[in-house]
Amino acid sequence: MAASKCTRLTGSLVKQLLDSVDSVLFDCDGVIWRGDQAIPGAPDVINLLKKNGKRVFFVTNNSTKTRKMYTDKLATLGFNACEEEVFGTAYCSAMYLKTVSKIQGKVYLIGSNAMRQEIENVGIQTIGVGPDPISGVQIDWANVSLDPEVKAVVVGFDQHFSYMKLNKALQYLSVPGCLFVGTNTDTRLPLEGGKAVPGTGCLVKAVETAAQRPAQVVGKPSNFMFDCVASQFNLDPARSLMVGDRLDTDIMLGTNCGLKTLLTLTGVSTVADAVHHQTSGCPNRAGMVPDYYVDTIAELLPALQG
Amino acid sequence: MAGKVGTRECHKIRGAQLRDLLDSKHNVLFDCDGVIWNGETVVAGAPEVVTLLKQLGKRVFFVTNNCTRPRENYVQKFSRLGFTDVAEEEIFSSAYCSAAYLRDVAKVQGKVFVIGCHGVQKELQDAGVPIVEDVSDGPDVSIYNFPLDPDVKAVLVGYDERFTFMKLAKACCYLKDSDCLFLATDPDPWHPLRGGRITPGSGSLTAALETASSRKATVIGKPSRFMYECIASQFDLDPARSLMIGDRLETDILFGANCGLDTVLTLTGVSTLEEAQEYRDSDAPEKKDFVPDYVVETIGDFLQALED
Repeated sequence: MAASKCTRLTGSLVKQLLDSVDSVLFDCDGVIWRGDQAIPGAPDVINLLKKNGKRVFFVTNNSTKTRKMYTDKLATLGFNACEEEVFGTAYCSAMYLKTVSKIQGKVYLIGSNAMRQEIENVGIQTIGVGPDPISGVQIDWANVSLDPEVKAVVVGFDQHFSYMKLNKALQYLSVPGCLFVGTNTDTRLPLEGGKAVPGTGCLVKAVETAAQRPAQVVGKPSNFMFDCVASQFNLDPARSLMVGDRLDTDIMLGTNCGLKTLLTLTGVSTVADAVHHQTSGCPNRAGMVPDYYVDTIAELLPALQG
Repeated sequence: MAGKVGTRECHKIRGAQLRDLLDSKHNVLFDCDGVIWNGETVVAGAPEVVTLLKQLGKRVFFVTNNCTRPRENYVQKFSRLGFTDVAEEEIFSSAYCSAAYLRDVAKVQGKVFVIGCHGVQKELQDAGVPIVEDVSDGPDVSIYNFPLDPDVKAVLVGYDERFTFMKLAKACCYLKDSDCLFLATDPDPWHPLRGGRITPGSGSLTAALETASSRKATVIGKPSRFMYECIASQFDLDPARSLMIGDRLETDILFGANCGLDTVLTLTGVSTLEEAQEYRDSDAPEKKDFVPDYVVETIGDFLQALED
């Protein structure tokens, strides 16, 4: 455990840190790639870590791809990776529904085809994916026909989000016993070229507000993302490192699960953000202070190549 | 400030006591949904109450967060449901007041990007506030690539049955400029429909945009004071002689408290007597403002009180 926090990872500290862990968990957007471009040096980092006997996992809140789609993207960008190492929220939400919610019935899904595929892969039927524009008049919307087999409303990123979908989610959530799951609460979804669009957090918030109840959130910083990896790979948190670009999701998850944490500055959060949390004196914010930071994960290369 | 601080007791009132209360007030502000009507069903006695109050020389106003209709359509609804003498000038909807705010208070120089139904857009147009036209996007426009209007100086979000992710994305871009105003018609998370069903309200769409932009909207509708200030700017109200009657504790009653008005909760709508009593019995000081001064079963009870 680091004696002090938010230390620049440099010199001999790099090798010291890497020697102290067996597994490294990487966030994706803003850490190993930006949009469709790998962060320079990132593929070498991942590939060398594996060569050095470390296990590597990819843990992302982005729900728009299946594990297979992520693996294909990783391969295209030069990363050696296999499906089992990828933990996106589409897959993890499906696992959550199967192993935690244990739902017996269908899901009304506001989300992507990728989410639909992952959830149906674990044997749970979904309805609702795709465009759903408004029709009829207001009184029709409360009386929209509901599938009685729906036992949960699940909200992930959906570029087809509409008032009608929000309305249907509300009608389903008004049925006693209906579960409410959200993939993540990120406020923006990063795209290629540094652009971003509103994130899943906005859609989850819209449904939470209408239904006046909170969603059970699967994605970081919820522990479930780590539990999902750990349960399949028997990880020792004390010998695991979480590498991310967001203090409120990646670093928070790492701290909450007892991992070492490394902030990389190629994404959302800054060192100033981290220092703010550190000096705030607020116990809730202490978890967002990373053990170490680097400008880019490429700074790990010298220690790996040496 | 009118309204006796510390005596908000949600006191059930009828007959002579109700008569005395009404005698002491010159202005009566009614919420609409759940108070004078529910959907297309009038609350029994409501039209007669309004007529009687006016005959007694009182001024009557209608203050509603419902932004789905322009005022001229409200006039038609009043007429349809048997109210014989309600004038457009007496109707204050959150859409009308949002337009008034943009034109007279914010004095916006430029266009408004509107996420809102026809009712909202019409009020802005009637007030002469330029809006970005709600046209369908061409085939090469997507959430990854869309044009922005450089003249936008404000974003207004209200109930919009045609809400889409694209509108959310565009609004979020406009709000990146901290000089761009951010308004919401009302905070209601859901609206009641007939038969106990509900439909998502402006509040849920506003929450999405606040999350996307990391900014807080200026909310025009109840419980914010602005709708009252809008009426007061046209009609010279004395809060001590004004009464607010509503069915939703978190909007109508809090609105009344915020504006220094005595408040009456009517039980023909959203909130229950038990909920009012919970607020009354709570230790948290801020919950006191959710407690109505008085409670009636229905505003139909005013008839007996006034006719006695």
